[in-house]
Amino acid sequence: MQRIILLIKILAVAGIICTTGLSKAQESSVTFNKDIRSLLSNKCFTCHGPDTNKREAGLRLDVRDAAVARLDSGQHAITPGNIATSELWVRITSDDEFTRMPPAEHGDALTESEKELLKQWILSGAEYQTHWSFVTPTRPSLPAVQRSNWPENAIDYFVLAGLEKNELTPTSRAKKETLVRRLAFDLTGLPPTLDEIDDFLADEAPDAYQRLVESYLADPSYGENLASSWLDLARYADTNGYQYDTERQHWVWRDWVINAYNQNKPFDEFTIEQIAGDLLPNATPQQVLATGFNRNHGITIEGGVIGEEYRTEYVMDRLITTSSVWMGLTVGCARCHDHKYDPISQKEFYQLYAFFNLVPERGQSGFQPQMQVTSPLAETRLASLAGRINDLEAALPAARKDLSGLEKWAQTIKKNGSTWRIQTPVSAKSSGGTTITPQDDHSLLVSGVNPQKDIYTIESETRQTAITAIRLECLTHPSLPGGGPGRHTNSNFVLTGIELKATSTADPSQSHVVKFSEARADYNQANWHVSAALDPNKATGWAVDGPTRKEPATAIFITEKPFGFEGGTKLSLTLRHEASFGTHGIGRPRISITTSPTRAIAFKGLDAAIVDAATIPATQRTAEQAKLLADYYTSNYGPAKSIETEIVRLRQLQSQGFPPTMIMKDQPGIRKTHILNRGQYNEPTTEVSTGTPGALPPMPGESENSRLGFARWLTSSGHPLTARVTVNRYWQTFFGNGLVKTSEDFGNQGELPSHPELLDYLAVELQQSDWDIKHLHRLIVTSATYQQSSSVGRSKYLRDPENRLLARGPRMRLTAEQVRDNALAVSGLLLNTVGGPSVYPYQPKGIWLELNNRPGYSKAYPQGTGEQLYRRSLYTFWKRTVPSPMMKTLDAPERELCTLKRSLTNTPLQSLLLLNGIQFVEAARQMATQVLAQPLDSDQQRMEFAFRLTTGRSPDELESNILLDALRQQNETFKNDSEAINNLLSVGDYPVDTTLNQTQLASWTAFCRILLNLDETITKG
Amino acid sequence: MNNPIEHSYMLTNRRQFFGRASTGIGVAALASMLHADEPKGNSKALPGLPHFAPKAKRVIYLLQSGAPSQVDLFDYKPSLEKLHLQELPAEIRSGQRLTGMTAGQAKFPLVKSPFKFQQHGESGMWLSELLPHLGGVADDLCLINSMHTEAINHDPAITFFQSGHQQPGRPSLGSWLSYGLGSETDNLPSFVVMLTRNSFNQAQPIYDRLWGSGFLPSQFQGVKLRSQGDPVLYLNDPAKLDARTRRNLLDSISKLNAKREQEVGDPEINTRIAQYEMAYRMQMSVPELANIKDEPESTFNLYGESAKDPGSHAYNCLMARRMAERGVRFIQVFHRGWDHHSNCEGNLPTLTKQTDQGSAALIADLKQRDMLKDTLVIWGGEFGRTVFAQGNPARFGRDHHPRCFSIWMAGGGIQGGLTYGKTDNYCYNVAENDVHVHDFHATILHLMGIDHERLTHRFQGRDYRLTDVHGNVVDGILA
Repeated sequence: MQRIILLIKILAVAGIICTTGLSKAQESSVTFNKDIRSLLSNKCFTCHGPDTNKREAGLRLDVRDAAVARLDSGQHAITPGNIATSELWVRITSDDEFTRMPPAEHGDALTESEKELLKQWILSGAEYQTHWSFVTPTRPSLPAVQRSNWPENAIDYFVLAGLEKNELTPTSRAKKETLVRRLAFDLTGLPPTLDEIDDFLADEAPDAYQRLVESYLADPSYGENLASSWLDLARYADTNGYQYDTERQHWVWRDWVINAYNQNKPFDEFTIEQIAGDLLPNATPQQVLATGFNRNHGITIEGGVIGEEYRTEYVMDRLITTSSVWMGLTVGCARCHDHKYDPISQKEFYQLYAFFNLVPERGQSGFQPQMQVTSPLAETRLASLAGRINDLEAALPAARKDLSGLEKWAQTIKKNGSTWRIQTPVSAKSSGGTTITPQDDHSLLVSGVNPQKDIYTIESETRQTAITAIRLECLTHPSLPGGGPGRHTNSNFVLTGIELKATSTADPSQSHVVKFSEARADYNQANWHVSAALDPNKATGWAVDGPTRKEPATAIFITEKPFGFEGGTKLSLTLRHEASFGTHGIGRPRISITTSPTRAIAFKGLDAAIVDAATIPATQRTAEQAKLLADYYTSNYGPAKSIETEIVRLRQLQSQGFPPTMIMKDQPGIRKTHILNRGQYNEPTTEVSTGTPGALPPMPGESENSRLGFARWLTSSGHPLTARVTVNRYWQTFFGNGLVKTSEDFGNQGELPSHPELLDYLAVELQQSDWDIKHLHRLIVTSATYQQSSSVGRSKYLRDPENRLLARGPRMRLTAEQVRDNALAVSGLLLNTVGGPSVYPYQPKGIWLELNNRPGYSKAYPQGTGEQLYRRSLYTFWKRTVPSPMMKTLDAPERELCTLKRSLTNTPLQSLLLLNGIQFVEAARQMATQVLAQPLDSDQQRMEFAFRLTTGRSPDELESNILLDALRQQNETFKNDSEAINNLLSVGDYPVDTTLNQTQLASWTAFCRILLNLDETITKG
Repeated sequence: MNNPIEHSYMLTNRRQFFGRASTGIGVAALASMLHADEPKGNSKALPGLPHFAPKAKRVIYLLQSGAPSQVDLFDYKPSLEKLHLQELPAEIRSGQRLTGMTAGQAKFPLVKSPFKFQQHGESGMWLSELLPHLGGVADDLCLINSMHTEAINHDPAITFFQSGHQQPGRPSLGSWLSYGLGSETDNLPSFVVMLTRNSFNQAQPIYDRLWGSGFLPSQFQGVKLRSQGDPVLYLNDPAKLDARTRRNLLDSISKLNAKREQEVGDPEINTRIAQYEMAYRMQMSVPELANIKDEPESTFNLYGESAKDPGSHAYNCLMARRMAERGVRFIQVFHRGWDHHSNCEGNLPTLTKQTDQGSAALIADLKQRDMLKDTLVIWGGEFGRTVFAQGNPARFGRDHHPRCFSIWMAGGGIQGGLTYGKTDNYCYNVAENDVHVHDFHATILHLMGIDHERLTHRFQGRDYRLTDVHGNVVDGILA
């Protein structure tokens, strides 16, 4: 190893004095790492590689000593310097299909040029080299370049040397407005504001760009943007995956990641805390929280599973994820047998596995261990919550007086719809002596003793006649067990019977029992359908899955025939809880009646008095009715309503503690680790203890023999992979491809780096800067390489479609998160607060339930309201089995496993999403609202303003003409078409600005839809 | 963009909209379009594929999630008459691992099927009385009674069937086919998934990964055709703009994109223009596809009245045929509700009533249109069910059983009227001609003209394939 390092040093030094001509000559000689390794790996290692169990003819070609040794057959596979006596040469050139290698069934034969390479290599002595990525990187010297005034920093010397070797020249610096937009997306994930662009354009100081870089690096959005891609690696999700994919609360860990990036936590600490923070001496709660990284894997709750099978999978997942993320190694290949290509034996795999195998956890529902830790963002978050509540409260009085939408709303009320009159109980009794307390909303809260069986009798009065149904709402209350609807400790109730007696208030001698023909409920527990409450059988009844579902439930009982006495009726309702399950009373019932026609009856419905008031002209309403209507409107529909809802939600967030987060923990001695035959959980063989692969530097002598020692080993200075892999992946986020294109594989089968010295330079730079990530990012974005224009015309583009030589700046579509965040930002909708629980933005109806509608294990997507719809996409609730279609359509992975590189596709479904997704249509409307709110004089100016919002630049003449044409077209479309206007403007929850001319707003909305769909808008160019 | 008619239509269309522009961009942009590279995403097969002439051009896979009982539907076992209620011999079980649901059971009494079996067609295929319609097409079916798998629980088992691997992360069968063979249509996705509306309250959930693309580029994932809301997500304009206005918007977008491409030179921009065009075409082709009003009454006589009900199994079978006609390559219907851990006798007839007529009608319909010969139809679940009772034998259920189960295939390259493979007298182990899930996959690929060992994708240094390092084509069922 020492010798090889020395050799690389000499070569590096030589590199400086080499002229271009010399390096070309050098290049023509065949070397193992450059020419031979991948060839042998691809064509030969499957049968003649590291895997001892699959080795044919006793021959292994991945190690020189073995390859040149005498074989059992007496021959030598390779005789250095002599092809005639090299059996390898004889075999690959044989005409006989039975002796020719590789055998036909193992894929394609070698090409002539491949044979020639092997020939040259054997003739020149068949020297082997250690696989490049297993050699500790050293800092290479900067290569000599001709165009010496171009480089801005070290990166550029390496890139330029490559370009000059290929007789290419760099592209000129991108325009300032292009640069600021590229930089803003790369560092913050958001577009620059117009002010930022203007300031930068006006700033002619030489360090203007540097200052811009610093301001983005310091922006809290920076941490969010970086966290966003870290979550793919960490397979972060808000659900447990596998079959039922139930919810988990793990977002406090996500807050940790955001905060770590914003605090610029050195990457070695970032690594050690996430892998083994729990094992650090005197570990702080935050360090333990960090280990949530390796609890992000899926966890099954499927009934029939064998626990150990799944616990094994979790440990595998941790090891495979950790090795991929930090080492770029596919260690998972050695789960069942020695690695086919890389020097990792099956035994070594299980030695690594042993580091992760001491967690006191179960396979089925293995959600422990957990720990309740405060989010590191709590303080800023609480301050921002308080600020927002203040603002909203200040706006409330005015909003409460705003009745401008009342008549329009009143017109939408239909006389024959479903309406309900909530009954005010006159009395309520319990057979078992429980306490029944009337509430302001006319519900009855049950408390006190909780008898085995209980019968409630609730009396109320009404003047209605022709009553067609009664409704029983079983509401929840914080004082009830688990905050659910029932009184049992598991939150359930069982209603075994219901009876109703009607008595005339005018003539109490007139009285009869009301018979029900039908019962239905908005939720029924399996085998406990509400219809069972109508039969006399006490063993059957209505229940609502209280243990898993802490939500209200509503039942409707339809009468055989309408009832109600002229002059008033006294209703006496009996609710029976007489099941063999004791203490299963309803916790907070509320009774309503209706006179709606049977066919119109729905679970929800307006209060009938409101309907009465709304459906007569305003001038004919009594003062009482007007007040009733105004009160109802302001508290349910008007602008005050959304503010109030939001305040309630924010207050909840304020008072909410932090949910416990799953963490790592070691319980030494809990179990032993064995090699698993074929990787099967139930086939343990030899016992092994912890250890790292022999092909990598050993763990430092003093290290702990634990996960902590493993984590420290990863970030030790001699480790050849961690820094390279890390640098490479960040490079990938800026340029689309890493310097090693296979960022997920640094092994024998991976691609060689396009700029090996640059990769090593950056890797060493990262280590020697004390793993300063912002420093690395600063270095990249201030390079001349990064600042090149990406607009080069077709022929140059096609010469290097993937831009591996870096003769132009990066250009690629924004990530899923960035596409959506961009639309929110340019429309002014984005609520940019950092951290907190996941939210539920727009999603087409039914997507969750159509895949899973199993009672107790499923629910409908709980789409959010208000500002929840407008948070950055990294906070979008991530359900592994059904990820948000907005994210999924734009290439986000499912996050069932660690994803090292997303696809970047271009599909019609993406076009449909951007054209028709409510989020995007609404964003277009709000963008138009912003445009029209500007103090601008002409459509030309407005058009330019809007175009700049989405592209960051001004349109040229041709573009202006196309855009103005489009605007005229849209004006024509919406002129005199109030239906079309209404259809367009009513998309989305955000209130329409009714002070604007609606025709104009619609035309501009359509116009902004065009802009939001431009390739340029969704591309970092 | 394989279809020349479509191609010329697009060009005319472009000519129109570029021509209309008052800006002078028209000619230049058109020139750029003509020389543009073909779109990357939609249509092309991998070089060298198919490997040989395919027998089937497309696949319709009616996946019965939850696992239907082979004992009660397909695998006729008169031997169980005598064995009824006897204990399953330990040597037959021979250490087979049990799920957590029956592992604690003290006894494993065998229960015969309460349903009668009878022979159908010239081939005399034995089928349960619960499948009267299927009996009518028995001579087109190849019934495989010797399937077996490795997984014993739903999630890993169905993931195995869909992707060749029990744990998440691999590409699905449909995405492999799209990736390898490309698309036959530019108006519809090449891999479409439909879900039957579920009414069984113990049904197993399903998940996006079952039609996911794993490590293949995500454009190859299945597209859900839904029976509620937009048939394809985001297909319809929520603002309900008319077609002309939408076309105008699209034209403006394309003009600006084309103009941009001229300066930047990134071919991805041309691809984007083409994808917006395809999106526009889908806004017409998908509603046309879903509009079953153009079907004659005879169609509904064949598939049953429920075929008029979107989201029913019969409706999805009918839609599958309509998609097959329109060039969709891989069509998968998921029907749930077969997981009968109790009361098989009560539950099975409900499920067969939902599925039998539509499934059989699909075969007959394809045949009368002369499409069965190059359409492969598959019907089956993710494993079988135990011959012994779960719970009380009087109201017996059946637990998961991986050792033997039945599926059927029909059409494209498959021998009709064939009952393939045998199980032992207990219906517990395969006795003859076993077919593993990997073999099943190898055979499907073979029928589509693909050597399963040569359709690979390199990911993390390894050339992955659907069949991992296993799988043999089941020659015995080929026509």
